[in-house]
Amino acid sequence: MTINIPGPVQHRKIVEAELVASIGWLIRIRWIAGICVLLATWGIETIFGLHAPYTALYLTGAGILLYNAFFYLQNRRLVERDASAPDYMQLAKWQVGMDWVAMTLLIHFSGGIESPVIMFFFFHIIIASIFFPPRTAYAFALLAIGLLSATALLEYTGVLPHESIYGLLDAPLYQNGLYVISMLVFFSSTALVAAYLTSTIHERLRQREEQIVRLTESLQMATTRLQTLNEGARVVGSTLDLPQVLERLVKSTAEAMGVHACSIRLLDKTGHKLDPVAVYGLSQAYLDKGPVDLEANPLAREVLSGKIVNISDALSSPLLQYPEEARQEGIQSMLSAPLVGKIGPLGILRAYAVEPARFTQDDEAFLAAIAAQGSIAIENALAYRAVEQLDTVKSQFIRTVTHELRSPVSVTRSLLRNIVAGYAGQVTEQQLDILSRASRRVDFLQKLIDDLLELAEGKTEIRLYEQYEPVPLERVIQQVIKRYEVPAQEKDIALHWNEETADGETLVLATPEGLDRIFNNLVSNAIKYTPSGGRVKILLSSTGDEAQVTVEDSGIGIPEEAMGNLFEEFYRASNAKALEREGTGLGLTIVKDLVERFGGRISLQSTVDIGTEFTVILPVEIAATQTFPHTAQPGALIADHED
Amino acid sequence: MNSKRILLVDDDPDLRLALRLPLESAGYSVSEAESTSAGKEAVKEVDPDLIILDVMMDTTTAGFQFALDMHNAKPDSEFKKYRDVPIIMLTAIHSTTPLRFAPDEDYLPVQTFLEKPVDPDVLLAKVREMLGV
Repeated sequence: MTINIPGPVQHRKIVEAELVASIGWLIRIRWIAGICVLLATWGIETIFGLHAPYTALYLTGAGILLYNAFFYLQNRRLVERDASAPDYMQLAKWQVGMDWVAMTLLIHFSGGIESPVIMFFFFHIIIASIFFPPRTAYAFALLAIGLLSATALLEYTGVLPHESIYGLLDAPLYQNGLYVISMLVFFSSTALVAAYLTSTIHERLRQREEQIVRLTESLQMATTRLQTLNEGARVVGSTLDLPQVLERLVKSTAEAMGVHACSIRLLDKTGHKLDPVAVYGLSQAYLDKGPVDLEANPLAREVLSGKIVNISDALSSPLLQYPEEARQEGIQSMLSAPLVGKIGPLGILRAYAVEPARFTQDDEAFLAAIAAQGSIAIENALAYRAVEQLDTVKSQFIRTVTHELRSPVSVTRSLLRNIVAGYAGQVTEQQLDILSRASRRVDFLQKLIDDLLELAEGKTEIRLYEQYEPVPLERVIQQVIKRYEVPAQEKDIALHWNEETADGETLVLATPEGLDRIFNNLVSNAIKYTPSGGRVKILLSSTGDEAQVTVEDSGIGIPEEAMGNLFEEFYRASNAKALEREGTGLGLTIVKDLVERFGGRISLQSTVDIGTEFTVILPVEIAATQTFPHTAQPGALIADHED
Repeated sequence: MNSKRILLVDDDPDLRLALRLPLESAGYSVSEAESTSAGKEAVKEVDPDLIILDVMMDTTTAGFQFALDMHNAKPDSEFKKYRDVPIIMLTAIHSTTPLRFAPDEDYLPVQTFLEKPVDPDVLLAKVREMLGV
């Protein structure tokens, strides 16, 4: 018999399914049995010519077919209305009961205790032992013994007329007390032993079957989990939309583990709080319980330290920040796994169950695997989101640049056109010629700005893939200082250069142009905002794995309220504007952008009217000293590329 | 000579000069305001026949806000009597962003736009058109 198991089923259902199938089989067998009774009766009458109560035997055979037809219809009705197991069990009991009445009648009409049909009783005992639990099987065995004993006794005492098949047995045995007793004793013991053996063997088979069903279930669970892991891997590759990644993750985890709920909380920007970002199966009331603060939540701290935490009794666990809310939600077990990115913890993946001690070691391993995979997906999505945000910022930046650059040029054009058109009074022919030339040049400048902006957009894309090379920091700074020697002299500013590094060059992984830009902007700013008679000091020092460059001036300083905005695009401190009308406010933005792109950081200290000190720290590329000794000469490297 | 009054609201003194020169030479009486708030004061003082307004000033949409305040003034507003003063809006947006602003009676009650850089002859033609001279 084949049983299809659609999804995880309980093992009891298997036994029920077996019962239902067996009833159909029993009904089919009974058609044959009924026909056999009729054929056998006809056989002994016509072939052997024995004397027997034929009418009674034919009627018994017909009776069997009749009640079988009734059972057949009854069974079909049960199947149609998808009846439950007890209904089928009831039908089975009626069938076995009716069979035994028919059996007793057959025995009676074929010679009672002398009848060879007695042996048939054993089929029925075996069938009953297969169908029913041992106790019922024994009850049926006793019923068989009772029925046969009653028939024998009633015939022996003459209460019931003795029917026999004459010619089969010469001497009537039903009157022989010893025979009757010994027959009954042997029948009884054989019936009970048959019931015992059959039900014992069948019980063992049944247990085996249940084991198989349980194994199938656990296999199916394992398959579901593998599918979840596989789905997780698919999600990692298929979408970069963070909410979608998180939604899928919590839903499939809860389903695969067969638990009440699942959630993902991610660390917020402060790194001290966990925000619920995806939830499956938890009530809003539970989510509104309050902030999950690392300070107040020992469980979160433990999980974020990299541990899988299995809480088997949420109601009494000291780790919970909100035990009362968990109780109201009906949560008894919690399993938490850390979501860890490349740079540190991202958050927590947690499964909730309403049963106590719900999670096993297998569950722990499973959740850990999901969390590991989820971390990659989340990190990818976060990175993608950051890139998207960066892109938005870039677009905004370009729009601002467009306005900032276009505005002065277009005003200049407007002014020049006024003069050329004569609205500013009479101009000589020569003046008109000069102004027309200037006007044309400004028109060209406008076009140039537009082109440059377009180019800048493309550049932004290329920069992402820019190749950095080990650049000697000393050379770059010296170049910059050389460039500003004359302007500093003209302004009567003392320009100092100092180097406190070990022998050899301080190599920084960057682009020479980028480094030049950084220090050019810092030094030119220092000179620009330092009054005559002041000084600008540049100091390079290195601590092995980091190089530090400070550019210190005795200039106008930066007001405190301007410090926070100093690196923003187009921002200029009020005193800087007052001193120098011209200035884009982009210089420091570019410096900070470049320093960070080269893996460094920039900070500043300043006091108004006393001076400013910018400190740039860049990671030193130590290995490069051996690997690329020729990079001391940038030209050599370029030649290398051309090879 | 006409003596129509025109109010220039623009934070750029150079552009105000570039606008003032052709307008004055055409005989208009020109007043200036360097911000939208100064512009609101000036409106009450000057009672202009036409306002020329820059879009981007203190904020990128300051000009739009000013125009809305003027033309959507409530019956009890102090700007009630200036509701119908036509506005020419100066913008550099057209050529640099895909956004297209067009005069929209519901959203922006601005009569017309003028793109920067401003050609003085184009400016005068627009002004004449607006004032119906």
